[in-house]
Amino acid sequence: MLHPGVLTAFALLALTVASLAGLATAGGGLADLAGLGPYLMQTVHGASLQAALSTILSLALGSALALALNRRRDFAGRKLLITLMSAATVAPVIVIVFGVVAVYGRSGLAGDAARLLGLGAPPAIFGLHGILIAHVLMNAPFVARALLQALGRQPGTRLMLGAALGFTATDTFRHIDWPVLRRELPGLATLVFLLCFTSFAVVLTLGGGPKNATLEVAIYEALRIEAEFGRAAALAAIQFAICIGLTGLLAVFNRRPAEAAGGERAAPRPDSTAPGLKAFDGAAILLGTALIAPPLLAVLAGTASLPRLATREVLGAALTSACLALAAGLIAVTLALALASPAPGRVHPWRSRAMDLAALAMLGLPPFAFVTGLYVLLRGSGHPATLGLLLVPLVNGLMALPFAYRLIGPPLALNAERHGRLADALGLTGLARLRLVDWPVLRAPMLAALAMAMALSLGDFGVIALFGGGDLVTLPYLLADRLGSYRSDEAAALALLLVLTAGLLAYAADRGSGRQHA
Amino acid sequence: MPPTGEVAASMLEIRDLALDYPGFAARYTLPVPEGALVAVIGPSGGGKTTLLHAIAGFERPSGGTLTWDGLDLLPLKPASRPLSILFQDHNLFPHLSAFDNVALGVRPGLKLSGAERDAVDAALADVGLGGFGPRLPGQMSGGQRQRVALARAMVQDKPLMLLDEPFGALDPGLRREMIVLVDDLRKARGLTVLMTIHTPEEAAGCVDLVAFVTDGKVAALGSWQALAGPGGDMRVRRFLGFGTAS
Repeated sequence: MLHPGVLTAFALLALTVASLAGLATAGGGLADLAGLGPYLMQTVHGASLQAALSTILSLALGSALALALNRRRDFAGRKLLITLMSAATVAPVIVIVFGVVAVYGRSGLAGDAARLLGLGAPPAIFGLHGILIAHVLMNAPFVARALLQALGRQPGTRLMLGAALGFTATDTFRHIDWPVLRRELPGLATLVFLLCFTSFAVVLTLGGGPKNATLEVAIYEALRIEAEFGRAAALAAIQFAICIGLTGLLAVFNRRPAEAAGGERAAPRPDSTAPGLKAFDGAAILLGTALIAPPLLAVLAGTASLPRLATREVLGAALTSACLALAAGLIAVTLALALASPAPGRVHPWRSRAMDLAALAMLGLPPFAFVTGLYVLLRGSGHPATLGLLLVPLVNGLMALPFAYRLIGPPLALNAERHGRLADALGLTGLARLRLVDWPVLRAPMLAALAMAMALSLGDFGVIALFGGGDLVTLPYLLADRLGSYRSDEAAALALLLVLTAGLLAYAADRGSGRQHA
Repeated sequence: MPPTGEVAASMLEIRDLALDYPGFAARYTLPVPEGALVAVIGPSGGGKTTLLHAIAGFERPSGGTLTWDGLDLLPLKPASRPLSILFQDHNLFPHLSAFDNVALGVRPGLKLSGAERDAVDAALADVGLGGFGPRLPGQMSGGQRQRVALARAMVQDKPLMLLDEPFGALDPGLRREMIVLVDDLRKARGLTVLMTIHTPEEAAGCVDLVAFVTDGKVAALGSWQALAGPGGDMRVRRFLGFGTAS
């Protein structure tokens, strides 16, 4: 019998092939591609430039913040800033957009401050700079947290060694911090570039027109506004090819985290008293806080308007969001479990690598391209809203799969390594093995993965933009609608509700995964 | 310092050195003669590593004194203390070659003069790793990696060496070989050595003194024979599994 992981990998491949087939049958193939010509070049060029700039800025700020917070473990606001960074990482994209508009928009806090100081109205937030602010706000905290965890995994004895050898601040960076950054940054850079290159909600709302459109936005417009299936299919095919290339690169850089060096008291850093470094760290923390805190705290303006959300429309959207999120979460966890479940006996390393890749590949799966292909195949068989109810949780679940797999895979693999042979020797199989050997270890990571996948799905304003409207309305869809119609009080309240719910789920995921802030 | 490893007057003086942590308090008193090889033994969690870390300057004592040849060590940073240290693992930086890892002991910036480069090569040769300079730690065995760390301790040219269970992960034969190497280097260079060890019987022929550390105190101090031999200290003999009968 085929292993569930292999079956799942084949199922994922089959879905992808089906989607590609759908795209291929939709339009005129190469003729459509040729027809796109300069428009396609401009879109790819613009999206690449935007993604490259977003990546550079996110990595620069994220690295500076991680280094500063790693060095300043006794900084009084450290925990608060890390909590804010976590909130920025899990905040729904549409909430980030709301925060950017609320702070940097013409009628936002920055505009008010500029007018008070007699500097006149600031430039409109819509355009490349708006996209960059939002992307940095989302990705710099993610980079900072990932690097902070990696830096925290350094064995304490290495810092003691540095202190005993008389390391200066430069030596400490060169021999202790830089090797970690050099190992982590290529993968993070590829991931951030991929996320920004395929960005949808930010570019759609803050892009300010076709000049800054990504392929995702172009596909959305072709489908939803122009109803040009052939054109959408051609764009989706290009998007597929680029994303698969980037995911391949990501797979090269993706490494399982090194074993944590535990059991040691935190070692003092040799460079903690260097005065130049103190100034640098202070500046990094100040800049990071100034960028991250105001847009996130802007949602608090919605507190007063929360009672206005008690309408049939909002409650319906909340219920739809919850159902879609639960379905997406269950899909993600089931697939992650299947991919991560250990095979009996000795397993060749290529097999686990293939399972890793199958989960990781979902990061590179452009949701619009993917869903477009499936929609084209299924469009004759149901109403768009009904198809939406089927496709939205499926695609959201697949998008959350890499994160769920990352939470479930390592403990399951470790458990198999530790107790697998003993369980084999005792003849423990099937349900008994699940109950006695795997479940005690898996319970917390599974719930964590479910919570994380639900948080991601709950805040998604991607595929729902394509199918949303009429009977199918979610909270992010409603928030985008309120933002578009300048009902900012209601938008703030919706943003607050989304942040609180996603934040609670992410907190549960963090607790469940057993990980602690570095 | 005596060149043959013979024990002289007390050089390292630890008196009522106090360390306080939630759930654990330590008070150490330990006189160490110059040129001695002291095996620090005792149950896990008894405070052996804490003692070495306090001497090295990684822990901040709340009271007591710590001197080397009359010099108060407590105000000094780890790098300014007259000592080198080896840990059980993570002694080498994985991105640096064996040569560079040793060179860190001379200049952490790794800008070495010709004479300093020769000294690094000589230290590698002294620990039996001549020609291994360009290798990365990942390309070496566990024993070879600990030899590189030992070579670095040598080029630091400090009179006191702290070894925090450095050979615990090695095979018994290799462990014994490394202890003999440490003993030879100590005698050749007149070093004073404090070494925590889980299998003290392997070092019995080399050690001058055994310090039995338990519950955050040096509970017994004496020669191997006096503490572990027939009629020795009952706590030490029980810890070593020798029973209580003499």
